[in-house]
Amino acid sequence: MKSTITIKHKMIVAFLSLLVLQPNMFVNAQDDLLEREEKALQAAVMKASPSVIQLELVGGLESQELGPVSGLAVTTDGFVLASATMIPANITSILATTPSGKRASAKVISHDYSRNLVLLKVNTQETYTLLEAIPRDEIIVGQWSIALGRTFSREFTNQSVGIVSAANRVWGKAIQSDAKISPANYGGPLIDIRGRVFGVLTPLTPNPQGGQSDGSEWYDSGIGFAVPIADIMPHLEKLKNGDSLYPGRLGISLTAGNIYDLPAQVVAVQPKSPARDAGLKKGDIIVELAGNSVTRQSELRHILGAHYAGDTISIKVTRDGEIVTAEVTLAQELEPYEHPFLGILPDRHYDQQGVLIRYVYPNSIAEQAGLKSGDIIARLNETVIKDHNQLRVELANFEPSGEVQLHYLRDGQITPINVMLASIPSELPVIQEHPLPATPAPANNLATGLVEIKLPEEANDCHAIIPANYRSDVPHGLVVWLHAPGDVNDDILKQQWEMLAAKYHLIILAPKAADDNRWQPTEIEFIRKTMDNVINTYNIDRNRIVSFGRQAGGAMSLILGFSHRDLVRGIIPVDAPFPLRAGISPNDPAERLAIHAILVKGSPVSRAIGNAVKALETAKYPVSRTELESPGKITDALRESLTQWIDSLDRI
Amino acid sequence: MHRIFLAIFLFLAGISNLAQSADFSVISAGVQPKMVKVYGAGGIRGLEGYQSGFLISDQGHILTVWSYVLDTDYITVTLDDGRKFEGEIVGADPRLEVAVLKIDTEGLEHFKLGDSVGVNPGARILAFSNLFKIATGDEPNSVLHGIVAATTPLNARRGAFKTTYKGTVYILDAITNNPGAAGGALTTRKGELAGLLGKELRNSQNGTWLNYAMPINELIPAIEDIIAGKTRPRSFDDDVIRPDVPHTLKTLGVRMVPDVLSKTPPFVDSVTASSEAEKKGLRPDDLILYINDRRVDSCATLRSELELIDQIDDVTLVIQRGDDLVEIILQGE
Repeated sequence: MKSTITIKHKMIVAFLSLLVLQPNMFVNAQDDLLEREEKALQAAVMKASPSVIQLELVGGLESQELGPVSGLAVTTDGFVLASATMIPANITSILATTPSGKRASAKVISHDYSRNLVLLKVNTQETYTLLEAIPRDEIIVGQWSIALGRTFSREFTNQSVGIVSAANRVWGKAIQSDAKISPANYGGPLIDIRGRVFGVLTPLTPNPQGGQSDGSEWYDSGIGFAVPIADIMPHLEKLKNGDSLYPGRLGISLTAGNIYDLPAQVVAVQPKSPARDAGLKKGDIIVELAGNSVTRQSELRHILGAHYAGDTISIKVTRDGEIVTAEVTLAQELEPYEHPFLGILPDRHYDQQGVLIRYVYPNSIAEQAGLKSGDIIARLNETVIKDHNQLRVELANFEPSGEVQLHYLRDGQITPINVMLASIPSELPVIQEHPLPATPAPANNLATGLVEIKLPEEANDCHAIIPANYRSDVPHGLVVWLHAPGDVNDDILKQQWEMLAAKYHLIILAPKAADDNRWQPTEIEFIRKTMDNVINTYNIDRNRIVSFGRQAGGAMSLILGFSHRDLVRGIIPVDAPFPLRAGISPNDPAERLAIHAILVKGSPVSRAIGNAVKALETAKYPVSRTELESPGKITDALRESLTQWIDSLDRI
Repeated sequence: MHRIFLAIFLFLAGISNLAQSADFSVISAGVQPKMVKVYGAGGIRGLEGYQSGFLISDQGHILTVWSYVLDTDYITVTLDDGRKFEGEIVGADPRLEVAVLKIDTEGLEHFKLGDSVGVNPGARILAFSNLFKIATGDEPNSVLHGIVAATTPLNARRGAFKTTYKGTVYILDAITNNPGAAGGALTTRKGELAGLLGKELRNSQNGTWLNYAMPINELIPAIEDIIAGKTRPRSFDDDVIRPDVPHTLKTLGVRMVPDVLSKTPPFVDSVTASSEAEKKGLRPDDLILYINDRRVDSCATLRSELELIDQIDDVTLVIQRGDDLVEIILQGE
């Protein structure tokens, strides 16, 4: 025992003396290592540089001229990938560097609309050098990655060194790196220390339907993306033929809620969709897609994100305890889905089985079929209806002119009727307020009137108007009022809304921009937090959450509505252009969203709004409009009318 | 006992990181005594009243950038050890955006300008500066690590960068474009002086901020002149000398499409019969891309570029005709 200890002692002494002698040696060895590492990185850049192209953009009509941008040669005869963000559609002419350093004209051949890339062809006889692609399974987090561009000079590339931060980002579409990725290298390659290519640098955003950005505001922020070259190459022939690539769509709606938690259960299959063609049915739970297992909705999105329209992939679902397998060919565009309309408003306080009809729309299908307020809808086809939310979800499997059978209860008698569904009307409805429940009001210990909503770590102000007659047993609509620049008077807001809020059971939420005079698109996240805060505190009716704003506030209300489809059910933009750069996302059977646009005669943006309304109509959104005389003041009467529209958003 | 062993093993396992930090910390310790913090005018309209600088002689000369911070009667220079001195402006070269200050003390550690080195793209660098005024008193300046991303002349494209400095710069793969960093030192990973960190600068063409340093070797003649008391120009006319009789579209025989847009693409509308343009084969609908290797993005820039070319000199046009690029040389008189 003792001898062992002695030996250990000797060993420690040996170790210690080693350490005492070492510092210089370590520094020298380290110096050598640093130098070798530096040389290796430089050699990788040297090797890859010939494939990095400079693209000069000439004569676009954009007011802001984009500087030279980068591209990556992907064929020896001059096909070049670049970032779509950097190449405006209306550019007169694109000039590319050739291997000998000359300029040659280049043309846009096709787009990858899923991954924000563009394929160009350089008009040259010279031969480009290609880079070796790194297979997907060799991409490991933590390895060196170098972002290359050719923007500062035509002769030399510019480089930024970092590591691979993530191998599978933005719904499976990209590699993430902490190298500085910006307009200085968008379109260039991300390479490894051996000069092989990971992918093409381009800004991406996980939330492209939000419309507020393409991800380029993340430049040089420690987060940057490269689209794996291994994902693009199988589609290169298609791109070379001038056929663009699009995100692939299935045409299903899943159970609403937390996508990281819920299984991928289908609540609606869109008519005329790949999912319908593949025989998917309402109630199916998707357990496997393209050979990857799916336990949660988020996984389905990751797998789908990596695929393009036209790809045929396998899908496995469980149906009534059995596994069903099918092949599905993803679609580029779904025929726009239109919500069907029966023509009733449900009683929101009815707590028994079925849907108690509160109101029947004049001239609606419901009225023609003889339905009256007070009737109770008990069944849709074979499905027994629990409540109005279920009826709404069931109807999401149908479109206007779809035929359904309803069973309704009146005076203790059940009657079946067959109806052909219609479209949602575009007029503002004239309806009475929803009566309060007959039961006595529960005690309310929440503040009413103008209350401050203070969020930790947020600089922005936010107030809410809680009606004096607030009852926790009454579901309240939520109106998110987004002020116009400079128009931030809470007292006026209170005057305008207090009475309506009480009458129509609404909570008015008024988050403010950090700078009263301008909204930043990034403040959407703050607005969302204030909404979550109110939803967690008060009894909020999920069918009646509306964003409402004028001018810049209206633009924000549109961004909010389209980027938070899980919450927002209506948007009222007033005299506001549509800032939806990424285009309009498809209408969704389950996540309903209605828009009532208010135009002002003679306003410079009126025409743009008119066009946007048309685009929304084409996309089959329930969209309606009111046109005001200049200067576009909202009268008390119009405000009440809009409030009735908000009250009607739980229409069926 | 086992714990001691474990500790030693862990220590050895971590040695590679330790050695790197030891390496850089030795270098940093050598550079820091040469760095200073400069305080002057500012504090209004969000402008910061501070920047960085470093000693370049044993006479107390300090190199920094020429900026509004120095536009004051009282400049304070804080040494690495926390001592404060009044800085006196020896001189400045506003064209290069450099200034030399002097403090009344001698024998301080300093960079020898003659020993400064050039760096190549990909080389590791260290950037020393007092960005965000984070260091006060005797706190050392902040050290950033990165590489040289590129070397490029800043005047490569007219109008991209609003700066009077037109020489070559090192573009840095390190975020040095921050308040207070200007005037800091760029060194190799061995601590050799390589550059002077430039002022905050935005690329007006793509809106991104530029991280850059001016190579010391490009500045040395100016610095030596300033220290020697030779006068440097207080301002510099950016434009090249305009010729008395420049070319015009008319003398060349070219008529462009009507200039109705703010940026009308420079398409040729018609070519005058038997003019130089016609002789050399310029045609209607040709799009002019470059004139004497300067990019032309509108009819307006074409005209202003022409004004800079003497009628006796040749004019080289690169034009796009359909998918082809064609070079045409129009002879001067």
